[in-house]
Amino acid sequence: MSEYLSWRRADFPFLTEIPTRWGDNDMLGHLNNVVYNRMIETVVVRFTMGPLEIEWQTAPCYPIVVESLCRFHRSLSFPETVTAGLRAGRLGGTSVTYEIALFGEDDEAPASTGHFVHVFVDRDEHRSMQIPPDIRERIERLGMKA
Amino acid sequence: MAAQKMETRQDYKYFLPLQSRWMDNDLYGHVNNVTYYSYFDTVVNYFLIEKGGLDIHKAPVIGVVVESHCNYMSSVAYPDLVQCGLRVGHLGNSSVRYEIGIFKNDDAEASAAGHFIHVFVERESNKPVAIPKPIRDAFETILAESGE
Repeated sequence: MSEYLSWRRADFPFLTEIPTRWGDNDMLGHLNNVVYNRMIETVVVRFTMGPLEIEWQTAPCYPIVVESLCRFHRSLSFPETVTAGLRAGRLGGTSVTYEIALFGEDDEAPASTGHFVHVFVDRDEHRSMQIPPDIRERIERLGMKA
Repeated sequence: MAAQKMETRQDYKYFLPLQSRWMDNDLYGHVNNVTYYSYFDTVVNYFLIEKGGLDIHKAPVIGVVVESHCNYMSSVAYPDLVQCGLRVGHLGNSSVRYEIGIFKNDDAEASAAGHFIHVFVERESNKPVAIPKPIRDAFETILAESGE
């Protein structure tokens, strides 16, 4: 039923560490839900700027988010450092769905899981377009589970 | 992408206007995707306080988020006024599914729509409990006709 609870660090080809700040905790003493979504965005941005080599401000074709989801399984809190894992779950013609998990410092199972859907658009018209071949090749080589 | 059902103001039962802020815009010049979730938790908690009598500092039973989701249809940007529409899509014994529409200024159609699921727990033990009566009564006033 909850297949995502079995996701582990080793299931993700791209992992990145994200520190927490004092102000990330809310009055209930753990990270505010919005911060989890911010971490999901952060791992996606690091993947697109790093392995995918997308120049956000100049590329003629760039990705925009059309959907995001976050499930909260266990709370995370300042000052732990979170490890975010990303893999490409579904690669379509114009879109890619990233599957993401957030792990606390001592976690084997994810504290949070979710997904983030990018659609590629052209900079001038903002119309969806086919993912450029070089980017598609990098997603397949660097974003898929080995 | 699955075609997204168009969401209009009539689909929502409660509204909270929020003034967008300079820092809500990102490099693309519109409200950053994550900021919508801050609008979500602001309207949900404001409703709980205003209509459900929730005391966020002392209440023995609180709502914790177990899932949040958003579809982005068109952009909103500072200095737009953000109208947050709220309804209850599903009311369980200890959990509630809020459905939220984000409307820009006077727009009839939502710029973004999503959901937010709370499970009510005992603050001390973190164990799920029945939704307190005053809050459940408030939820019933904004229940979607379909119930789900």
